Amino acid sequence: MPELASKPRAVPALAIERLSYAYPATGQATRFTLGPAEGPNVKRALREVSLTLAAGEFALLAGRSACGKTTLLRAACGLVPHFHGGEIEGRVEVGGRDAIAAGPGGLAAAVGYLAQDPETQVVSTTVAAEIALPLELRDTPPASRARAVEEVALALAIPHLLDRTVDTLSGGELQRVALAATLVTRPNLVLLDEPTSQLDPVAGDELIWLLRRLNEEWGVTVLLAEHRLERCLPAADRVIAMDTGTISFDGPPTDFLAWAQQADAALETPAAQLFSLAGIDPLPTGVRQARDTLRTAKPSPGRAPGGWGGPPRSGVPFSAPTPRSDGRNLRGGKPSKRGTPPTPRPSPPTATARALWVELGDAEERHDVLKGIDLTIDGGERIALMGRNGAGKSTLLRTLAGLVDPVKGRVETPRGIALLTQNPSDYLARERVGDELPGAAGLAALRTVGLEHIVDADPRDLSGGERQRLALAIALAGRMDGDEPPGLVALDEPTRGMDRARKSDLIELIEGLAGHGAGVVVATHDVEFAATFAERVVLLGAGVVIADGAAAEILSGGWYFATEVARILDLPGVITPEDGAAILVGEDG
Amino acid sequence: MVTRPLRSPFAYTPRPGPLQSASPGAAVAYLGALVAAAFLYSSPLVLAAAGAGAALAGHAAGADRAVRAALRMGVTLALLIVAVNALVVNRGETVLLRLGHLPLLGRVDVTVEALAAGAVIGLRAAVAMVGFAVYSACVDPDRVLRALRPLAGRSALTAALISRLVPVAAADAARLRDAARLRGPAAAPLGRATLARRLLTGSLDRAVDVAATLELRGYSLTRPDAARGGVLGRSDRVTDKKVRSPHLPPCVLAPLGLGRGGNRLKSRFDARFYLAGAAVLVAAIVGKVVGADGFHAYPTVEWGVEPATVALSALIVLSGLAPRRRNA
Repeated sequence: MPELASKPRAVPALAIERLSYAYPATGQATRFTLGPAEGPNVKRALREVSLTLAAGEFALLAGRSACGKTTLLRAACGLVPHFHGGEIEGRVEVGGRDAIAAGPGGLAAAVGYLAQDPETQVVSTTVAAEIALPLELRDTPPASRARAVEEVALALAIPHLLDRTVDTLSGGELQRVALAATLVTRPNLVLLDEPTSQLDPVAGDELIWLLRRLNEEWGVTVLLAEHRLERCLPAADRVIAMDTGTISFDGPPTDFLAWAQQADAALETPAAQLFSLAGIDPLPTGVRQARDTLRTAKPSPGRAPGGWGGPPRSGVPFSAPTPRSDGRNLRGGKPSKRGTPPTPRPSPPTATARALWVELGDAEERHDVLKGIDLTIDGGERIALMGRNGAGKSTLLRTLAGLVDPVKGRVETPRGIALLTQNPSDYLARERVGDELPGAAGLAALRTVGLEHIVDADPRDLSGGERQRLALAIALAGRMDGDEPPGLVALDEPTRGMDRARKSDLIELIEGLAGHGAGVVVATHDVEFAATFAERVVLLGAGVVIADGAAAEILSGGWYFATEVARILDLPGVITPEDGAAILVGEDG
Repeated sequence: MVTRPLRSPFAYTPRPGPLQSASPGAAVAYLGALVAAAFLYSSPLVLAAAGAGAALAGHAAGADRAVRAALRMGVTLALLIVAVNALVVNRGETVLLRLGHLPLLGRVDVTVEALAAGAVIGLRAAVAMVGFAVYSACVDPDRVLRALRPLAGRSALTAALISRLVPVAAADAARLRDAARLRGPAAAPLGRATLARRLLTGSLDRAVDVAATLELRGYSLTRPDAARGGVLGRSDRVTDKKVRSPHLPPCVLAPLGLGRGGNRLKSRFDARFYLAGAAVLVAAIVGKVVGADGFHAYPTVEWGVEPATVALSALIVLSGLAPRRRNA
């Protein structure tokens, strides 16, 4: 790992040396102290981290949830320790300036930071005012301010938003506005914490390539933390992987894929999994490289059963394509712990929508959000509800749950519905799990989500995944028939900010609910997640169903709403690495 | 997708109208004059005219929704004031109803005069509400706060934060209400106090996030100074001399409307609103001096409608057309 003593002549954009940090304990003041973070109850978020980022680099920060990515970004912009308190040791330099001494205010001219939730990053009423605020705070003359606002708006393709108020923007638009406010001062270093987690595949891809363009044309150094690595790897020059507060890998994307294959399969991309399963080298960083490799690679004589770069990974079920294969999960294609879920009992539809029209908006600006939706969901079905931001996914779920009244058409959920909205924390209001879910019905709901052992815990002490399960149990409580879930369980964007291991746990839960006869509908932007859990995909576009069919069919038939494997192979029905590898091996053999 | 609640009818909505384009000072002068007239006068005719003028201004500015909401709230409040005034004030000679002795209130006689006096107070409150509603829906709060920044920079930014956090808190409250409705019947029910506490803690968390954002944006770098103008709306014309610097090409400046005029932010509609406001205010003061406000509630109701009262009322109503586009 390069250290400050051997740094190149040019001042690095970011230099971190032996950085250790611990957040303050709950209830402790947020003053910070310099010194080693030690003690019986001290849990260090960063341990001896050393890292140098040269000016103009585009680095991707990878790692599982709670591995220290966000803390590292906060340390690089001065929020840690100045804003969060805690104990810190080591050095952080941004453009040659001591970040721990300067704090976020002192670094504001040199570094921009974009957090996961754009809602918390806007402070003005209108977009133009929001973007101009950093310049205003620097006392920039109005003319220079106007030019900078216009140029950054043009760069981010949002000039049409300048006169809008921020509370009328979609999540994707708001994220771009927050990014514009971050970039308007032209900082040398931009730190981004999962900026695409709330965006649909289209907006997510656009944002990443926008960052790449800014990196190339403006020379901005980018440090981007993301879980959906397949989206970012092609744009990155370098990958830094973290594990429990330390840096476990630092190198180019191709080396990272080889490292992930050995060290942590949860960090593998679907394309790398595909090649790894099929025994093809080198592992591709993206669709283009994968297609190029497949087009030009020749079978090698010693390879069995095919002839690519090496033997396929052992234990892979190479069989005919199984578009709806059950039991697979997101951890390297291994079967889930639950194995093949039980075949659901034949049951009547658990939800039907007929000619459903829903209007939303102000009295003077009401508009149709759902336009004549017809949908039937059977018991035991696992459905991914997909579509771009604003397509009507959340509105459809809210209408099914009775939160929104349709202006026309009807909805029936004869065996009840439990809906978990995008923010599980909204369901948690008490300081003890048992107080949220009293009695036998509460315990049955906790049993359904596998949390019956934490009745006395404080919900705030639970992990993100456990909080999500608890919120679902709250929605289920009293709607169950004994231990049987209600007819329909709906989850709205449940994978935001989740790593693959947590997604895998969620899939087990979904399979369990479906196995007990519940229809499960999950609104999601995560194509790879949908490919793994869903047997059916309903694709919405501007309030109408534009596609409804088997997951393998829908997720292999397009470009944006298609898995990485489907985009590489472009074969109907092939959406997972296992399916793709089986095809490659079969073709070759 | 991010689910958003319905917007408040009083939330600022950018529109390309004269009132929205006017500088905050001009808009405040104009709408303030209408409200001031209502507070100077007790004549129901003048009050009704002020209300009509404010409503007309809102209509011309495209803020019908804000006007309707304010009227609904204003009428409700006015009726409440009429009822309370009738119960607590025993003055007046024309007794409509003798309610005898009531606890806390003592002897209660409902008089026509007390009803009329209550109606005047209620009407005044309703006019103020309509005026404020039009202001809220049509005047960009960012520009108002920027205008105030030279006087109290930190306070203006604090006010900006509050004005931003209010709609965010409203959205949070809507989400929490939805989550409460989605709880299963066997989950512990959530009372209003629990929801309020949850909303408060959530708002505090958000406030911390926003404070962090401000710090990152450079809040602590320098003291804000708006002496040289503020952020640009499309209808603003920045006239800083630096704009005419040869370093800035016309292709950049022209779309922004830069390069002409004096040395501050202004709108071509400002004069119209300053004139309308001044006309209303001067006429109201002159009318007051010449006895245009002849209304008295006690001891018996005297309407006191003079030609000057009618003329003043007509002027006030007509002033409501000021936000109208000339080609509309």
